[in-house]
Amino acid sequence: MGISLANSTVQTQAETAAKPRAGRFRAALWAPVLVLVLLCAIITVINPNFLTFGNFVRIGLTAMIPLVLGIGATFIILMGSIDLSVEGGLTLSAVVLSMLVLNGANANDYGLLGVLAVLVIGGAVGFINGAIHVWLKVPSFMTTLGTWFIGVGVANALLGGMATRINDPMIRGLAIDRFLGFPWGVWVALACLGVAMVIQNYTRLGRYIYALGGGEELAGLSGISTARVRIAAFTIAGVFYAIGGILAAAQLGLGNAQIGNGRLFTTITAVVVGGTALSGGQGSVLQTFVGVLIVVVLSNGMVLMGVPPSVQIGVQGLMIIAAVALSIDRKLMKIVK
Amino acid sequence: MINKLVTNETGPLLKRRGFLKGAAAIGAVGAFPAIITRRGYAAEVPVVVNSIRSLSNPYHATWNMGGAAFAKSVGAEYVTLVTEGNSEKGIADIKAILAKTGGNCAINIDPNDSPDARPIVEACKAAGAYVVTQWNKPADLHPWDYDPNYVAHISFSGVPYGKAMAEALFKAMGGKGGIVALGGIESNVPAIERKAGLMDALKANPGIELLDFQVANWSDTEALEKANAWLTRFGDKIGGIWAANDGMALAAVEALRADGRAGKVPVTGIDGIQLAVEAVLKGEMAGTVAWDPYWQGGMGLAIGFAAKTGVFDPAKEGKDHREFYGTGVTITAENAQSYYDSNIKAEPSMDWNDIWGRASGQIQYS
Repeated sequence: MGISLANSTVQTQAETAAKPRAGRFRAALWAPVLVLVLLCAIITVINPNFLTFGNFVRIGLTAMIPLVLGIGATFIILMGSIDLSVEGGLTLSAVVLSMLVLNGANANDYGLLGVLAVLVIGGAVGFINGAIHVWLKVPSFMTTLGTWFIGVGVANALLGGMATRINDPMIRGLAIDRFLGFPWGVWVALACLGVAMVIQNYTRLGRYIYALGGGEELAGLSGISTARVRIAAFTIAGVFYAIGGILAAAQLGLGNAQIGNGRLFTTITAVVVGGTALSGGQGSVLQTFVGVLIVVVLSNGMVLMGVPPSVQIGVQGLMIIAAVALSIDRKLMKIVK
Repeated sequence: MINKLVTNETGPLLKRRGFLKGAAAIGAVGAFPAIITRRGYAAEVPVVVNSIRSLSNPYHATWNMGGAAFAKSVGAEYVTLVTEGNSEKGIADIKAILAKTGGNCAINIDPNDSPDARPIVEACKAAGAYVVTQWNKPADLHPWDYDPNYVAHISFSGVPYGKAMAEALFKAMGGKGGIVALGGIESNVPAIERKAGLMDALKANPGIELLDFQVANWSDTEALEKANAWLTRFGDKIGGIWAANDGMALAAVEALRADGRAGKVPVTGIDGIQLAVEAVLKGEMAGTVAWDPYWQGGMGLAIGFAAKTGVFDPAKEGKDHREFYGTGVTITAENAQSYYDSNIKAEPSMDWNDIWGRASGQIQYS
């Protein structure tokens, strides 16, 4: 008797907790989109040129690389880990690509084969990240910190400090040639977003990644091979960083060891602003897409509005705090570190 | 007895710890002979040392090549120290090389930041080594106060070159129109000087309007973003783009290319890296300024080496040989091909004995 009463109280408690929880969760989910719309509105009021098709194309060009990088980072952050090797993977990929396709420094002309080789290298770097993290039990922060410097170091050693111009028309076409008005690179980035959404929502791997982020011990005890999921996630992220490297090399028309500088901060900012929690288990690549748009629209908008350069960094900092404060679901996060 | 060691409760742990300690000891002992034998060579030809920020940019990579070429020409051992933007590391590395060579060296350094020059010069004087600094030093630190060890300080004034580039840009634009400008890190001396040069040129050319000035922190990625936003904001009103360095200029060219206007809108940069000279040849850039880092890396060593080996006495040289401006080479469409052929396609041939050849006046502190 006593037990069934307790059970029913627990049940009703769960029911009442579930309903308002679901409502609150949805408000937090939509906050980044509201922020984006608000931002666009403010910028348009001050400079109507913001809403021109040409400007959207330029925003797309600027956003395509952080989007691809952010997708890779989202998978890692959803698991509760962190990936600092974004710049290393991107730089190494861009440099290797610039040496394999038609370029100004040597006689190679591998074209598509070069692109495939770069994707394999990116995946290999990601695999190494995952392997060291899982088998040597080194925290992801340390592992990826090391891979970051190794990636940039190898790229530096390959080029000896110089920059290699890329002449391959297919690669340059990613940034220059248009399809339906937008450069091919933007379509590549959107295709990556589509693939990532499929992985996240319709594959077992996606579910397992969420499970690891939500409660790794439980996931492990339920029979999920956490080692395999971790390694797979890092490898996939590595491939996305390689794609980002290819797009960056295409956009700047060259490969050099500094092509990755500063991109880690933009990536993590975009992921966090989009609403993905750094502690894992919450978020999605679609939210990262919104986060990337917010970051890019803001920096584009500040130039359009004529904000003085010295003020722009301060504004970006304010935006990060505001966006994260709005999108955190405080009921779910009792302890904040 | 061996059994006791192996089957002890803490047996395996002790074995691993002991092994690690033994390996560390062997490693340390193994390093000593290298240090000791180096001291033995200290009495011979002075070691020549280059200290720069990093090897991952074309400017310093070329600096390094110049240094290596000089060292080869005199048969000296060549060491490159890299600060990676870390002042403490830069100073520590210098002290280490002074200890290793016993002061028998000539050092050519591009200090990471101005205050670093003082401890480095003092350490060199104490060790008896000869040092040449370039670009960054405190205004009240003078080579003639540290005779004879602090041989010279070399710098390049940003103002005349920022102005020269602006004038080359205005000429390419036909003297009228709107320009946008990309600046370097706001607190860097070269960024401040080059911007001042641009402002001077603007005052002298009322037909040109500065539509906007944005800071891109010497980074190509940031320059690309700013250039893209400008194309939206000003569109066809942009008649030219002035950039404080080549990396940013090349990124601006790419933004124009995506807009279909590369080669139609002139762009200028500063630094004279290979890709920029090629862009001038192609007509996508209107000009750049080469500091000739090959000369900086090699001649900086040559001056210190000559002083160390007694070729001249720094104390007897005039102040315009102790603290002087080097000569930059302004590259525009007229001289781009000849500069390219003699400096980039072929390894430049430098007369290392002509140490004062490019001294162009004493540095003025206002």
